[in-house]
Amino acid sequence: MVNLPLAIIQAVVLVSIAPLVTGIIRKLKALLQSRRGPPIWQPYYDLQKLFRKDSIVSHDASWLTRITPFVCMTAMLLAALLVPAFTTSSLGFLGDLIVLVYLFAMFRFFMALAALDAGSAFGGMGSSREMMVSSVIEPAILMAIFSTALLTGTTDLSGIANTLATSGWELVVPSLFLGFGAFFIALLAENARVPVDNPATHLELTMIHEGMLLEYSGKDLALMELSSMMKLVLFLAIAWSAFFPWGIATQLTLGSVALGLLVFALKLIALVVVIALIESSMAKMRLFKLPNLLTVSFILAFLAVMSFYVL
Amino acid sequence: MATIDNNLVNGLAALVLLAAFALVASQRMQTIVRVFALQSLALGLLAACVAYITGYSHIYIVAALTIVLKALLIPRILTYVMQRIQVTKEVEPSVNTPSSLLIAGALAVVAYYVTEPLIMVGTSITKNVLALSLAVLLIGLFVMITRRKAITQVIGLLVMENGLFMAAISITYGMPLIVELGIFFDVLVAVLIMGVFVFRIKGTFETLDTSFLRRLRD
Amino acid sequence: MIEVLVLIPVLTAVACYFLNRRHWIELASTLGAGLLMAASVAISYQVFTSGPIQEGIFYLDQLSAYMLMLVAFVDFLVAIYSVGYMGKEYEEKLFGLGRLRAFYSLLQVLVFTMVLVVCSNNLGIMWIAIEGTTLASAFLVGFYNTENSLEATWKYIIICSVGITLALLGTILAYASLVVLVPGESGGALDWTTLVQAAQLKQLDPTILRISFILVLVGYGTKVGLAPMHTWLPDAHSQAPTPISAMLSGVLLNCAMYGILRFHIITSAQIGPGFSGTLLLLFGVLSLAVAATFIILAKDYKRLLAYSSIEHMGIVSLGFGIGGFFGIFGALLQMLNHAVTKSLLFFGSGQVLLKYKTKDMSEVSGMAKVMPVTATLFLAGALAITGCPPFSIFLSEFTILYGGLTTDHLLVSALYLFFLAVIFAAFMYHVGKMVFGTPSQPLPRGEVSRICVSVMIVLVVLTVVLGVFIPTFLNDALTQIVHLFSGGAA
Repeated sequence: MVNLPLAIIQAVVLVSIAPLVTGIIRKLKALLQSRRGPPIWQPYYDLQKLFRKDSIVSHDASWLTRITPFVCMTAMLLAALLVPAFTTSSLGFLGDLIVLVYLFAMFRFFMALAALDAGSAFGGMGSSREMMVSSVIEPAILMAIFSTALLTGTTDLSGIANTLATSGWELVVPSLFLGFGAFFIALLAENARVPVDNPATHLELTMIHEGMLLEYSGKDLALMELSSMMKLVLFLAIAWSAFFPWGIATQLTLGSVALGLLVFALKLIALVVVIALIESSMAKMRLFKLPNLLTVSFILAFLAVMSFYVL
Repeated sequence: MATIDNNLVNGLAALVLLAAFALVASQRMQTIVRVFALQSLALGLLAACVAYITGYSHIYIVAALTIVLKALLIPRILTYVMQRIQVTKEVEPSVNTPSSLLIAGALAVVAYYVTEPLIMVGTSITKNVLALSLAVLLIGLFVMITRRKAITQVIGLLVMENGLFMAAISITYGMPLIVELGIFFDVLVAVLIMGVFVFRIKGTFETLDTSFLRRLRD
Repeated sequence: MIEVLVLIPVLTAVACYFLNRRHWIELASTLGAGLLMAASVAISYQVFTSGPIQEGIFYLDQLSAYMLMLVAFVDFLVAIYSVGYMGKEYEEKLFGLGRLRAFYSLLQVLVFTMVLVVCSNNLGIMWIAIEGTTLASAFLVGFYNTENSLEATWKYIIICSVGITLALLGTILAYASLVVLVPGESGGALDWTTLVQAAQLKQLDPTILRISFILVLVGYGTKVGLAPMHTWLPDAHSQAPTPISAMLSGVLLNCAMYGILRFHIITSAQIGPGFSGTLLLLFGVLSLAVAATFIILAKDYKRLLAYSSIEHMGIVSLGFGIGGFFGIFGALLQMLNHAVTKSLLFFGSGQVLLKYKTKDMSEVSGMAKVMPVTATLFLAGALAITGCPPFSIFLSEFTILYGGLTTDHLLVSALYLFFLAVIFAAFMYHVGKMVFGTPSQPLPRGEVSRICVSVMIVLVVLTVVLGVFIPTFLNDALTQIVHLFSGGAA
């Protein structure tokens, strides 16, 4: 069921906690590396600072660079409306998971294209690497989520979450675990996490995502940063609600929504801890070895679909 | 409840298949031996689940043997051999990892199509595991063919045996106990003999790369 | 009674391992082999006159008894020959006493596993025994520990183990074809007797049975040396010590064939002989083609003999594939004749190796002048193996040809004749160059070992005798076996 106000509240919550999630990851990484690290609210302060500043655009850039931050932000806001995080009421009728995947694709496409726009070397390099990564990851994401769509008989993400949450043990099949594994690797790849990309680096040898952001400043940069953070939160939300959505609020009562919020917070923290652990314990993979990891994700997703048919 | 048990069995079977893929994706010798041990452990647990569901207690013995022999003893033997001959850490594949993974995926699809008519016949709670076991068999064969180090060929053979065992459990709840015992004994002796020969190969050829074994030809 | 039979080689192996004087070891080995031969004759007589024996996990019907006789006979000859051959190499200090002991006891272990193959009722135990033959012979093939023999042994172990694993899957599926329609653990469902009875009552699942046979054919076919799974055979049979080569070529290939035949009988009983027969035909013709090609190209005379083994196993497979009375009769006779003749040839090649110290054919010539008796026997063996009358192989190959022509397998018969002709020409060319001409090296004239030569003489006589007439008891025995195969009418 779709409760419009609840869905909008869910989207607003997702947008507002995005910087917090990033802040928590950074803090955890710092603690694991025996540093004090910045406070967890630091991303809010950074965004605040950036919104106050002017943005400078290169002379060689076209209209593309000017509209990209807005396009990306819009895509992410729309996606936030579509993703069920702590309640299954979302504007699913606006678009199912295929639309969702393509909203992310639009985000990636514009970001990559705009990075080429300014004509700098770093941007072009970042774009080409991003495209290489996504060429393997996108089919993996599609297949992983499709496996759950096959399982539940609908491609609407909130429908999937609803069915999985209310079916108990019968639908706990190996497909879910395989798909989750594939999706988690895709999460690391798409959101520029170690071992695919280092989000804290600015060395040209090692950056993919950061390379594409180099040309932005001021408000534009703020928008791009915020949309990247939202992408991370959305991926985390999809990871849980498409595969293991138990605890999500399927009814409109206050109690179940509160429970849903609590469970969602716990799930987020769990995954965030895992990401921080991975980032602190592994080194970034060398670029030509990336296809190994990405193909593993693809194969896991493929197995998820296959085990749906076989088992 | 039947469905939980079913799902548990299917889950373990999927884990066995996953281990086979992990074997293809591994790039270090130690990882391969550990993944094999994990696969054998999952297989033993699978056998134990089947024993619990069907009530045939002789399968418990077979499950215990699988775990002791294949998850504990044989990996120890292999690690010992590797340490003694100081084998280099990398697996030397002749097909690179992403392609190997894709080929393994294709083999899994082939296994599914081959076993589809078989699955339709007869009734058994684990018959759909047959497709996965054939996939593991084919992937084991693939690993044997495309990895050049002698020890990886031995592991490929052992993975084939794992797939076989899973197939036996899935179609017929295992075979008579004496046959299973004999098979285990054979596998153990085979591993020991292969270990001896790996020693000799390293001693004579100074390398474990079997692409050096090309002297005999017409 | 059968337990005694199976125990004899084990006891002999133990004895050979613990004795520590060379002549005692040789004595023990020969005695053990002789004892096995005597016991086999006794049991086989009983089977052929009063029908199959079934005791627990053992089951001996006419086919088993025939194979048992083959194993025991070749084992006896090899044991005697080894005394001469390995004794000679031991005297030349090629290896020490410990290795000699290992050789004799491992040989008996190999015989034990082969006896187990032919005596067991349970197909699972048969599989274990066949895998056991691979493992037992591994050390024997790698006996000399050179680079070449290591390579040969590794290929042998790996390729045969892969094949046997596939055969195990086939065995499991055969078990499943009965059990899947009646789920639950049926302890007897792996017994050959149970499966054959069920097949005759058409109780097995045909699809599963078909897949099972294909797997068994490919799997055990690897051990038989059928192309394209034959790649290990030339290496293993040429690098092994000569007595072991004779053992491997003579009986081990036949034992693996026996495994295939057991499944062939089950499958034929259920769905008729067409399916399995056609597959056997295919592999047989392919093996003939491959063997012919490589015999032309051969440079090492032991590899030449190995390819000849591939050829003859192909002919056996062809015979069983053609089916009918004459096809099967001929194939069975071929198994015997090949064992006798190939052993003769390998024994002869052993003498050549001891004398010329090289396996390269281009370096061997003038055998007739250096060791005339051996050369004559070797030449006779070569004529025999390529199918010349009046030797035995001509008779069995002709029977198969007759079977092929009378059952409308005209293309196959034509191909068969063609490849036989090609192999005859190439083989005789190579052997001719070895036997005639001037000696390549100045070597002392004289036979290498009298024991070895005596064994070879016995074999030649046997080949000629069998080539001229088939004794009545053999005829009856083979006819009884043919009736085991459905489709073996008349």
